[in-house]
Amino acid sequence: MTNPNEDMLDDIFAQARAATPAPSDDLMARVLTDAEDVQPGNLLGAAQRPSLWSRMSDAIGGWPAVSGLAAATVAGVWVGIAPPAQVEDLTASFIGDEISINLFSTDLAFDAGELIDG
Amino acid sequence: MPDPFAGAPDEALLVAYANGDGQAAKVLTQRLLPRVLGQATRILGNQTEAEDVAQDAMMRLWKIAPDWRQGEAQISTWLYRVVANLCTDRLRKRRGGVSLDQVAEPLDGSPSVTAQMQTKDRLTALSDALAQLPERQAQAVSLRHLEGLPNPEIAQIMDISVRSVESLTARGKRALADIMAGRKAELGYDDDEPE
Repeated sequence: MTNPNEDMLDDIFAQARAATPAPSDDLMARVLTDAEDVQPGNLLGAAQRPSLWSRMSDAIGGWPAVSGLAAATVAGVWVGIAPPAQVEDLTASFIGDEISINLFSTDLAFDAGELIDG
Repeated sequence: MPDPFAGAPDEALLVAYANGDGQAAKVLTQRLLPRVLGQATRILGNQTEAEDVAQDAMMRLWKIAPDWRQGEAQISTWLYRVVANLCTDRLRKRRGGVSLDQVAEPLDGSPSVTAQMQTKDRLTALSDALAQLPERQAQAVSLRHLEGLPNPEIAQIMDISVRSVESLTARGKRALADIMAGRKAELGYDDDEPE
């Protein structure tokens, strides 16, 4: 038993099966970009994804800031070991003869901040 | 330049992709995207929606690549299922009465353009009618009659028995014919099918 409505449907099915669109260049590009974005172990992706160290150094302003911080740390240690006379006088006037060493002294942190901003 | 992946099965390419080979993604996309886009287009009858579904389906493939268990399922079977599910999700949203965006048509009355517009109207009507079917029926009908797949493969894709596929496609097709019967004249079938 043939249903005329099903005949119409079969005709439309045939027209639908004939629809074979080719992916546009834009769609191909979108799909490949997705593939690259989520690809595990991709050497290119690894190069694009910075290491923990470089992300940390970027967070504080890159190599100039890192070298500034390193210099500040060395200077802070040196101040601790051999405090200049002014520092000794200053700290002594506030807290007696005890010397408080702060490796992250505000002046040096300010210098590093200038480098970050720059 | 010779294709280093010529003849390699899709599964091998997916493993290569998961291991960081960028070329494998390109070859897989060239192989799979046309069929994925075709399936979505035939169900949805709308280019923009079909492209979105195709991109989404391929994204799911990239994401599952590291966990792909070889030999368990074929990529083509898996993609048919993903696209069918994504499309029925979209069809479900249409039931609220949201009409499809119509792609601008050229204002040319030539017979070929008129025929193209009629085909487009018929495919849109088919898609809207599929949206009114229960989802499993819509999936079975589309895999059988739009993709032309044999029932055992549809059973695998839908993870049901072949008998269930037969039942779903038969009921689905009847229901679809009834839904579309009211649009016969509008779709240009009056002369072909006199009542």
